[in-house]
Formats: sequence, structure tokens, C-alpha cells
Amino acid sequence: MTDLRPPASASTIDRRSILSLGLGLGTLITLSACTPTDDAPLTEGTPVQGGVLKYFEPQTWTLLYPPSVGFYPNGGIMNNISARLLWQDPETLELHPWLATELPQVNADATEYTFTIRNGVTYSDGTPLTPENVAKNFDLFGRGDEARTLPVSEQISNYARSEVLDESRVRFHFSAPTPGFAQAVSTMNAGLLSDSTLDLDAEGFGPGGALKIHTCGPFRITAETIGTKLSVRAREDYDWAPPHLTHQGRPYLDGIDYLVNNEYSVRIGAVLSGQADGVRDVQAPDEARVEEQGLRLYAKPTNGINNGINFRFRHPLLSDIRVRRALIAAIDREEVVDKLFTPNFPLATGVVAKGAMGYKDQSGSWEHNPAEANRLLDDAGWSRRNAEGYRVKDGQVLALVVNTALPQPRSNEVQTLIQQQLRRVGVRLAINPGDQSKQTLDALSLDTIQIYHSMVARAEFDNLRSNYASVNRDVFLNGTGRDDAEDSTVDPEIDRLLDELATEPVAAKRQRAAERFQDYLVEKAYVLPFFEEPQVFSFRRRVHGFETEPVGRPSFYNTWLAGQ
Amino acid sequence: MLDVKYLFLRLGQAVLVLLLAFTAAFVLLSLIPGDGVTARFADPALGLSAEQIADIREQTGADAPALNRYLLTLVGFLTGNFGFSVQTGAAVSTIVAAALPSTAVLALSGFLTALVFAVTIAVLATYGPTSGPLRWVRRVLDSTPSLFISIPVFWLGILLIQVFSFQLGLVSVVEPGSAEALVLPTLTVAVPLSAPIAQVLIRSITEVKTSPFVKVTQAKGASEPWILVHAVARNAILPGLTIIGLIFGELVAGAVVTETVFGRNGIGQITAQAVTHRDNPILLAVVVIATFGYVLINLIVDLLYPVIDVRLRGTRTATPTQVGTVEDTAAEPVTGSFAGVATARGTTPAPIAGEEEA
Repeated sequence: MTDLRPPASASTIDRRSILSLGLGLGTLITLSACTPTDDAPLTEGTPVQGGVLKYFEPQTWTLLYPPSVGFYPNGGIMNNISARLLWQDPETLELHPWLATELPQVNADATEYTFTIRNGVTYSDGTPLTPENVAKNFDLFGRGDEARTLPVSEQISNYARSEVLDESRVRFHFSAPTPGFAQAVSTMNAGLLSDSTLDLDAEGFGPGGALKIHTCGPFRITAETIGTKLSVRAREDYDWAPPHLTHQGRPYLDGIDYLVNNEYSVRIGAVLSGQADGVRDVQAPDEARVEEQGLRLYAKPTNGINNGINFRFRHPLLSDIRVRRALIAAIDREEVVDKLFTPNFPLATGVVAKGAMGYKDQSGSWEHNPAEANRLLDDAGWSRRNAEGYRVKDGQVLALVVNTALPQPRSNEVQTLIQQQLRRVGVRLAINPGDQSKQTLDALSLDTIQIYHSMVARAEFDNLRSNYASVNRDVFLNGTGRDDAEDSTVDPEIDRLLDELATEPVAAKRQRAAERFQDYLVEKAYVLPFFEEPQVFSFRRRVHGFETEPVGRPSFYNTWLAGQ
Repeated sequence: MLDVKYLFLRLGQAVLVLLLAFTAAFVLLSLIPGDGVTARFADPALGLSAEQIADIREQTGADAPALNRYLLTLVGFLTGNFGFSVQTGAAVSTIVAAALPSTAVLALSGFLTALVFAVTIAVLATYGPTSGPLRWVRRVLDSTPSLFISIPVFWLGILLIQVFSFQLGLVSVVEPGSAEALVLPTLTVAVPLSAPIAQVLIRSITEVKTSPFVKVTQAKGASEPWILVHAVARNAILPGLTIIGLIFGELVAGAVVTETVFGRNGIGQITAQAVTHRDNPILLAVVVIATFGYVLINLIVDLLYPVIDVRLRGTRTATPTQVGTVEDTAAEPVTGSFAGVATARGTTPAPIAGEEEA
């Protein structure tokens, strides 16, 4: 634990800040210097066909196996090359037919789903979409194949088997009620693959094999330069857009070039100087300057669990609810949002975002009150302080470690601010340093991480289960055998409430189950949500009609380029 | 010219170095807590349960004893099978093969540019005007190496992109042509690389210039440029050559940053990503490739010494007549360096002076 960074003292400037000053300088130069303002017209007009969009990603894609495309660079590609049985409206979150001709027939306890498959759909390798092929897809996604290191989809639970009924119908059977399945088939994690693609192993889905990935979406992969670029081009014969959309037929764009550069100042600079058309992941401090340059800025909601921290109550230091309540009272969420973010990052009013399924307004549950925090900590026996001003009890310092959520915006800055806020009430917070792998590995143990910073997005009630259930992401490490901690410290109520939610087939009852679960989290002071996390994109003005799917992944089917 | 026995000895050493580097890398990577398989499959983005992760670990052999994994990997490397990336599942050979040419081209062009920089700086810093309005040139260039070596590579790369691409629009960083793509990265690599070479050259030129044999040649009426080319350069180049062998490591380190900033898919870029993902198979391959490059460069440098400096041929050249002459002259301490230079073409000192007089 020697590598943990101690809380920064108030006034010293360390080497790291000087380094970041240097790093930031490049960005500053681009943004402040005289790049010409983009003054192309913003009016929408009639879409025109043609042109290839140059779009920047911070990291290269790693795997185009649909259940693994939660990683943003993977999802940005998969969402545009694949088609799904159903289509979810990003605004209303309602489901509509896509490759299924109608919404599925579901039995009363949601253990059987019957889909009728559209005729005339072909994969990019020319093979047709058939019920057998659809069955084969879900047999893989629903079970995974460990021999090929292809994991099961976290969105499909209780999968038992598929059954092809006739030449257009397929039925899926589940071992327990699975009301989330209809939404699961609409996500890019259930993008359908051709038979030959389904036979690939993990190597086949990785870099170097992109041309062998055959899908039936509006775009298909045509060229791959490992590590730097992936080109997709429009399918001229694409004629199976969701009937709900006004735009039918082939996409307006001729194609998209996904470009990769790890250096933020280069990505944003390339768009500002007009060398590229768009970029994902504009950082909050740059939003104003990007808009000053005349560029389009989109902050797309991800409609999921809010960005926030989870208190791992099984750790001895956090097992006392008074301590957890004190931490919540000591943290000023409004200061975090105001100081580090923009209005595109709204203060969380519940465990999940306003646009998410299962939302319940819980604003007022997390009031900032340092005096109350001090009182609670004194009550809990942490009244003595050591020489540094931190609270001690029985010779132990009230010191906690939080992870750095690298995929989340400014996680390190957020935690640094909270570190200062907690210091004021005598709680020591250390920020776990290190890269993504170290964060992932450290987060698996209560000893290394006691406060877990995260968010997750899926536009379904099951999102709560994905995040909190002991068999899924298990942010609390609440499963028996997950950690060395005593099994008696497990809170079985969490899994019980989530099972209720996951197996309740009636939507209205699911909403109530979701609310009950969120109330429980608030009542037990297990979580502190900060803000509703958006995905922020920037595009040149000539790029029209940019859209995202329900959790903020880019969707280029309706996008068109002016002046083609 | 080449001693076959010596060559074999050196090759044997090279193989040993490779094996040791491989073993050391394997041991060190195994010591890092946590491995790539867990790092990838325990990633919250996949949402797998602890049991599912354990099953996958078993399938991938991640839990096998370290010695078994070591031997398996070693046999794989010997038979040209580098294994599969833990992060993506793609064959390491595919990933490396895609990255290697780009790094090789960048390394070569960066190295040649660095040489041009270094020689120019060294010559101007030692032969620049000592008086007159341009005398500052010499002073400035003399301190250039210290400046160059202090410039952080990432900062230089970003600055070059900002100025030449985004502001002036001279080169594009988005889908540039193959030559266009090389200009700025080459400069970025070359600047810090040229510093140690230039520094060493300045020192050795200054030293050689004050040597007695140069004074003698000067006294015989040789012009400054003639002395520089025929007498000083040949002697001053040896320390330069040594440093070239050593800075190869810097070239690899520079590539990591340069390729990241410029979005070039090269060995540096895949190394940076492999480190973030605990992708040990890729890291092992990179270590072996880098060691191989290092060994190769130093072998070439070692073999070049006797070609450039006749005094070094004695121990291992096969031509007896030359050995005799050179060793005789080299044995005389006072005229040693003078003879070394003057006999560079295998002649005696006298004709050189004669040539100059003619």
C-alpha cells in the first residue's frame, strides 16, 4: 500500500501538476490559437447522399464480439454495422420491430419469446438471415463459449435454449422469468452475425480479422489498418431499416473512417482545424471553446446508473451506517459538478438518470451538511484525532481508498476534490493510482478498494441488476466468496430485491420493484450519485443529422455531409 | 577480413543475451500482481460473475504453474509462435507484423536525421566562427545538445503538430500520405536522439583538434577543411559510433511516445497498449524484438570499429601484412594517433604530408 498517493496538502505544487501543465499546454495552444472558425450553415435542409465521415476515437477497438462491445470504441463500430431484431427509440425507450416483423410474443411468465423474422435480409457475406441463424446467434450470446474465450452476454440471463418453429419463426426458452430479454435483443450487444462469423474464435473477432466480421447493418467493414484505422462503407442493398424510421434504404453517408489517436490535443485539434469531421469524448473544460470555434457540440445522455460512488459496506470501516451517512453529508456534490463540469453534466437526482428506465426522484437524499457529518462520526466512536487531524479509533485511522474510474470523465479530479472535502471532517481518502488493468484488479478486493467509483448504462430495468447483483458487476463485492470478508457481512437483501426486479414480468410492477431497490440503497446509505453522465461529441458544421442510440453510442445511419 | 570464429562467438553471445532478456522479462511480468486474463474478463464492462471468470482462467491456462508457462512460451518463441494477445485474442505475430515496418521506417529516418543534426551541430560548434558578428552561432550550437536532450518528446511532438499541421496546414495528421506521415514524427524522434551524438562528437572533435598530430599536419600546411575530413573526423567518429550503439534503447523509448502522439501503429504504440492491459504475450515479443535490435546494432558497431580504425584491426584481422604495419605504428605512443589517421588507407604517414605539399 506504499504506492498510494497521500492526500495533497493545500498549497504545494507537485511534479505531477507541473507535468499536467505541460501536457495541457498543447491543448491550450490549439484551442486558443487562430484556427479559423467553422461558419458553414447549421440549417438542416434536405439530406444529400455521399461522402466519407472521418471520425476520431481515443483508443483502438479491441473486439467485435457483440457481447463485449460495451467498450466505447467497439460499440461505436458495432452499433453501425449491425442490425438487431428490435429497435429501441433513444427518446422514448420504446421497442419497435426491426429485423423481427413485429414485437415478440411472450408467454405470461416471460420464459418464452417468439420472434417472426423479416424476409430478404442478407449479411454482408451474402448469406441470408434465417431463423436458424438467429437461433445460432443467441445460443452463443446466451451461453458464451469458454473454450473460445467468448463470454456470455451480461444482458441475457436464464437462457435455456432456442427452437426454430418454421421458416420464419424462432422461439427462445428461459429457465426463469426474463422480462429484460426483449430490450436485450435491441442493443448492439445482440447485433446479429452471419453463420461464418459465429464460428470464429476470440482471435477472429480481434484486430486483424475485422474483414471476416459479417453483419447485416447499414454499413459493412471494408478495410482495416491494425491499430490506426477501420473503414466501413454503406451497403447499397440495405433495405431493412426499422420501419419506425422515416429514412429508409441505404445510409446517406458513403462510409465512415474510424481513426485512432491516443493524444487528446491531436484529436480535438484535427477537428478544430478541419482535418477530421468529428470526435468522441470532448472534455468538459473544452466545451465552451469548441463552441466558440463554431463547432457542433452534442452531449448525449447515456440513460443509465448515474456516475457516483458506492460504499463497500462489508469493509469494517464502512460497516457502520453512521460512517456512510457521515461521508455522504461531508461530500458536496454540487461543488463537484460546478467546479469540474458543465451544465451538460446535470446533478444526479436519483440512483439512475432521469431518462433511464426505473427512474425515481430521490433528490434531497444526499444533503451536504459537514456539521452533521462531524456529529455522526463522533457518535460512531471516531471522535479522537491524530497529529495530522485525521480521526482515529482504537489506534486505527479512518482512511479509505477509492478507485480511479478511468473510462469516466475526470474521475481523478472528482476524487481529488472529494479528498479535500473529506479531509475537512477528518477522513483520509487515498486515490488508487494506476492504469485500467490495475484498477480492475484492485477493485476485486475490499482490502485495496473500499469506495468504488463507477457508472453503467443500459436502457432497461435490468441495468440495476447488472451493476449491483453479486453475480454481475457486483460493485459492492457483496457475493459470498467474492472476497475474504466474512460471509455474515453479505447483505442478502440486495440480491433478493434485484431478483424480484429481474423476474417480474409486468412492466408496472418492475417499475415499483426498481423503486423499492433504489429506496433501499438510499436508506442504507450505500451509494452517493454525482451526475448524469453524457457522452460528449463534437462535429464540424457540415455534419448533419448526428444521432446516438439509447446509451449514447454514435448512430450514423441518418448522418449526412453538406456540400457533397 | 572478418574473423569467422569471432563472428560465431558474437552470435552465440547474442543468442544468450536474447534468452536472458526473455527470461528476465518473463519473470518480471509474472511478478506483477494480477494478469491480463483477469484484467480483461473481470473488467466491469463485461459484467461476468466470479465463477465465469474462474472458468475462463482455467480454459486459458492462466493458472498453470509458472515454470510450465515459461517452458511453453519459450518453445513457442523458438518455433516462431508468439502466442495470442490476452487483450484481443489476436495472434501476437499478426499484431507485431503490422507494427514492425512502421517503426523500422521511423527508426531509420529518425536515426539518419539525428546523424545529420548531430554532425551539423558538432562541426559548426567546433569550426564555427570564433570572432566577428556570427560568433554567437558557435556558442549557441555548443549548448544545443543540452537543450535538445531536455525537450520532452511528447511535448515536442504535440508542438510540431500544432504548428505545422493545425496552424500552418503544411502536413495533415489525418490520413496523411506515407512520406507526409513521416516528416513530423521523424523530427520528433531525431531531436532528442541527436543530442548525445552531437555532445560526444563536439567533445571528441575538440580533443582531437588539439592533438599533436593535428598540429603537425597543420604545420605542414594542410587547410582546416582538409584536416577536418582527413585527420579529425576519422578519429573523432569512434566515440560517436559507440554512443550510436547505446542510444538504440532511446530510439525504442522515443517511439513509444512519438507513435502515441502521432497515432502511428508501431511497436511503441502496441507496447503502450500492452502495458495498460497487462498483455504479457505482446510485451514478451516486444522485449525480444527490442533486444534483438539492440544486439544487432551493437554487433554492427563492433564490426565497424576495425573498418574505421586500423589500430583496432590487430587483434582479429586475418591479413598479416597490414597487422604488422599497423601494430608497429600503434605501438608508438607519441605518434600513435597521428599514424592511425594517416595510415587510414593503409599507407605510411609520409605520403599524406607529401600530397598536401603537392
